[in-house]
Amino acid sequence: MAMRELVTGGAACAVPGGAGSSSSSNPLGALANALIGSSSKTQDRLKEIPSSTATATSPSAEFFSLPDDHLRALPGSELDRPLLQPNRPHTQGSEFLSGFYSVDQNGALSDVWDEIHQHGPHPLLPQPQLQQPTFDGPPQRVLSSFLHSFVDSSRAGIPFRPTPLPMLGLSQGDKQCIRDRSTIMARHFFADKPDDFIDAQVNALLSSLDIDHDVRAKGPLPGRYRELEDYWNESQGMLKPGPHAADGWVTEYSQQQPHRVDPDAWAHSFEQQHGANGWASEFEQEQSQLTSVNQMRGANISSLAAMEQTRMLAHTLAQNDDPKFQNSKFLQFVSKMSRGELIIDDNQVKPASLIAPGDWATEYQQKYNGGQTWADEFVGSELSHGPDRWVKEFTTEREQHGSVDDQWVNEFSKLHVHDWVEEFGQQVGEGSLGESSADNWANAYDEFLNEQVSAKQQLNSSRGVYVFSEMNPYVGHPNPLKEGQELFRKGLLSEAVLALEAEVLKNPDNSEGWRLLGIAHAENDDDQQAIAAMMRAQEADPTNLEVLLALGVSHTNELEQAAALKYLYGWLRNHPKYGTLALPELSESPYYADVARLFNEAAQMSPEDADVHVILGVMFNLSREYDKAISSFQTALKLKPHDYSLWNKLGATQANSVQSSEAISAYQQALDLKPNYVRAWANMGISYANQGMYEESIRYYVRALAMNPKADNAWQYLRISLSCASRNDMLEACDSRNLDILQKEFPL
Amino acid sequence: MASSTTQLKSEVLVDQMKKYLATDAGKAVANKVGLVFQFNIAPKKLGFEEVIYTVDLKKGEVIKGPYEGGKPDTTFSIKDDDFLKLATGKMNPQIAFMRGAMKIKGSLSAAQKFTPDIFPKFAKM
Repeated sequence: MAMRELVTGGAACAVPGGAGSSSSSNPLGALANALIGSSSKTQDRLKEIPSSTATATSPSAEFFSLPDDHLRALPGSELDRPLLQPNRPHTQGSEFLSGFYSVDQNGALSDVWDEIHQHGPHPLLPQPQLQQPTFDGPPQRVLSSFLHSFVDSSRAGIPFRPTPLPMLGLSQGDKQCIRDRSTIMARHFFADKPDDFIDAQVNALLSSLDIDHDVRAKGPLPGRYRELEDYWNESQGMLKPGPHAADGWVTEYSQQQPHRVDPDAWAHSFEQQHGANGWASEFEQEQSQLTSVNQMRGANISSLAAMEQTRMLAHTLAQNDDPKFQNSKFLQFVSKMSRGELIIDDNQVKPASLIAPGDWATEYQQKYNGGQTWADEFVGSELSHGPDRWVKEFTTEREQHGSVDDQWVNEFSKLHVHDWVEEFGQQVGEGSLGESSADNWANAYDEFLNEQVSAKQQLNSSRGVYVFSEMNPYVGHPNPLKEGQELFRKGLLSEAVLALEAEVLKNPDNSEGWRLLGIAHAENDDDQQAIAAMMRAQEADPTNLEVLLALGVSHTNELEQAAALKYLYGWLRNHPKYGTLALPELSESPYYADVARLFNEAAQMSPEDADVHVILGVMFNLSREYDKAISSFQTALKLKPHDYSLWNKLGATQANSVQSSEAISAYQQALDLKPNYVRAWANMGISYANQGMYEESIRYYVRALAMNPKADNAWQYLRISLSCASRNDMLEACDSRNLDILQKEFPL
Repeated sequence: MASSTTQLKSEVLVDQMKKYLATDAGKAVANKVGLVFQFNIAPKKLGFEEVIYTVDLKKGEVIKGPYEGGKPDTTFSIKDDDFLKLATGKMNPQIAFMRGAMKIKGSLSAAQKFTPDIFPKFAKM
C-alpha cells in the first residue's frame, strides 16, 4: 500500500510542466519501459503502422488495433510530434481520437477520454521530457501504455507481472468494460496458450488496475463470477482431453453445496449463496457473457438462429411421450420462446415485440446439454427432498424478497419444474445413458455452435453460389486467365484457383475461365465450389461438352442421380456426332435406361472415342454396376493412357466396389502423372481407411490437406481416421486445422 | 420427376456397406460394435415413404427391410440427405438428434455407438 501511495504521489507530480515527473526517477516506470521496449523502438513501430485505423470487424481485429491506437496515445508520439516534427500535420491528436472512437464500441474508454478533457490537465501542453512511455501522467496515458505492455508481454508468452498503478479514477462501468474485454479478448488473442496462462495474465492485469473479478456481481454474489468463468473456460477447452464442461458444471455444483450431510443443505446453500435474486443475477451475467461469446465466434449467431435452436429444443422435448410432460407449462414456455412470442428482457418475461429471444435460448440449450450430469447430480441429492421441495423452497424464498425479478421467477416457479426434473430422473434412472454421454453431448454442442458459424458459408455453396476468396493477389493482373492456365499446368491448383477467380471477376461470362476454375476445384477435392463454378460455365456456354461431362461427374460424386443423368444426356444431345442419336421425346429428366442405351449405341458407332467410354463408366457408377464401370474406364485408358483424371476415376470406382488395393495402384498412376492431384491423395487415404489401415490413411489425408487446406471432406475423413486409430491426442490439431502439428506427426 | 427413377442416395452407401462388411476391415468394425441398427430412411420428410435397412453388426450383414431377429438395439429415423451427411462425417449424430433431424428409438447407449467410423468412405471420381 505504501508502494502504491508512492507511485500515486509520483503521478500527482507528473502534471505537465511539473519538474519531478521524469520517468527515470520512477522505478516502476523503468520496469514498464523494460516491458515495452525502448522509446526509439516504439517510434519505429509507429511509422510502420498505416495511418488509417482499420475498422473493427471482429473482436480479434478490435483487439489487435487497440494497442496500435494506444501507441499513438503514447506521450512520445501524440504530444511531442507537433513540437519535434513541425512539418508533420497537426491532425495527429484528432486522428488518434477518431481512431479511438471507432474502435471503442462500448464507449467506456472514450468516456475516460472525455473525462480527461474536462477535468484533467490540458493534454496539448508540450512536454519534451516524456520521451518514453511511463506509468504516470494523465490516467488515459497510463492506461494505454499499461494495456500495451500487457499485450506485449502476453504475445511473447512472458508472464505478466501485476504492477501497482496510480489511481486512475475508473468508474464502475469502465472497470466492468475493461474487465470484460480483456478477459474475452485475451482468450481470443492467446488461443494457443493454456487456459491457466490466460487466466493468470488477465488476473494480473485486473489486479493491477484494481479491478475486482467480482466487479459485476452486485449485492449478494461474492465470488460467483469466478466460478462461472472457470466453467466457461472448461467448456471452451472441452475438446482437449481432460475435464469436460459437464464435469466442470458438476464441480461447480458440488462446490456450492459443501454441507451435503443435511438433506436441506442444498436448499440452504442455495439460499445462502444466492439470495432470491441470485439465480436471476447469475442468469443475467451468463447471458451477457454469452453475448460476447457469440460475437467472438465470428458471426453473430442471429436471434433467428437462436430462435431456431429453441425451436429444435422444443421439438426435441415434444418428442417425449409422457403426457404429463407434454402438458407441462415448461414445454409451453419453451415453445412460446421458440416462436418468439416471449422474450426475456431485464430478467422479466415479456411478450415479444420484435426481438427474438437471442441468448436465453443459447444459454438454456447449453445447460440442457450439460443437463444429463446435472440431472444425475440433482436426482442423487434430491431423493430425500422430493422434487416439489426445491420448487417450494424457491418460491417461498422469492416471496420473502419480492423484488424486481418477480415476474421472471414467478413464471419459472409456475412451470411445474418437478415434471421436468422427474423426466430427467427417469431417463437417468433407467441408465439409458452411458457415463460418457454428458461429455459427448457437451462436445456435440460445441460443434453445433461451430456449425452455426460456418452455416452461412455452407448455405451459399450448397445453393450452388460460388464463394470467392478474399484477398486475391491476382485481381488487377493484366491476363489472369493465361496466368491461371499456366499455374494449373504447373499443378499449383490453389494458386490457379485464385488467378482464375480474378479472371471470372474480370470477365464473368468467360466460360473457359469458369470451366478451368471448376476443374481446379474438383482436382483440389472441393466439390461444392467445383459444381458452382461449372454451373456458371454452363450458363455462359450451355453446349460446352467438357462442362457438361464435368457436371455429370460431379453430380455422380454427390450421388445426385437425376441431375447427373440430365447433364450426361445433355452431352450426347450437344455432341456434333452423337447428337443425331438423341431422342426429341426425352425430356429434361430422362430415364436412366434410355440414356444408357443411347450411350451404348454411341460406343458402337465409334469404339475409338475415349469420351464415350468415360461417360459409360460414369453411367455404370450411377447404376452401381461397378464391374462394367471398371471395364469401361479401362477401355478408355487404353485410348488415353496419360489422362490422370481417368486413372483417378478408375481408382474411385474400384474403391467404391471395395477393391481397395486395386484402387491404390490406379491412384498411384494418377499421382505419377500429376503429383499435386489433391483428390487422388485424398482418395488414397480413403482406400487405406477402408482397409482398416488408419495410420496410413491419416498420412495421405494430411498430405492432401497440406496442398489444399480447404478440402473439407478430407478434414472430416481425417477426423474419423484419427479416432479409429485411437489418436485422440491429435483431434485438437485436426479441429483447429493445425497442419504444422499434423504434418510433423504424420509425415508421408 | 417419376419417383421410380429416383433412388435413395443412402442406398449407394448401404450397398457399399454390404460389401465392406465382407472385408477384414469391415469385420473388425462389426466385431467392435456388435449391435443391430435399423434405419428408416425418408426421401424428403421424416416418417413418410420410409425405406428400411437393417445394419446388423452382430452378424456383419446389411439387409433391406426391418430387422427380423427380434428388436434392433436402436432404430434411427432420418432423411436421405442427412443420412449421407452422417455417414461421411459431415454431420454429428448427436447434433442431428438435437436438431430433430434424427429420431431415435431404442437404446440410447447403443445409439452412441452409431458413428461415422462404422461406414466405409466413398471415393470421388
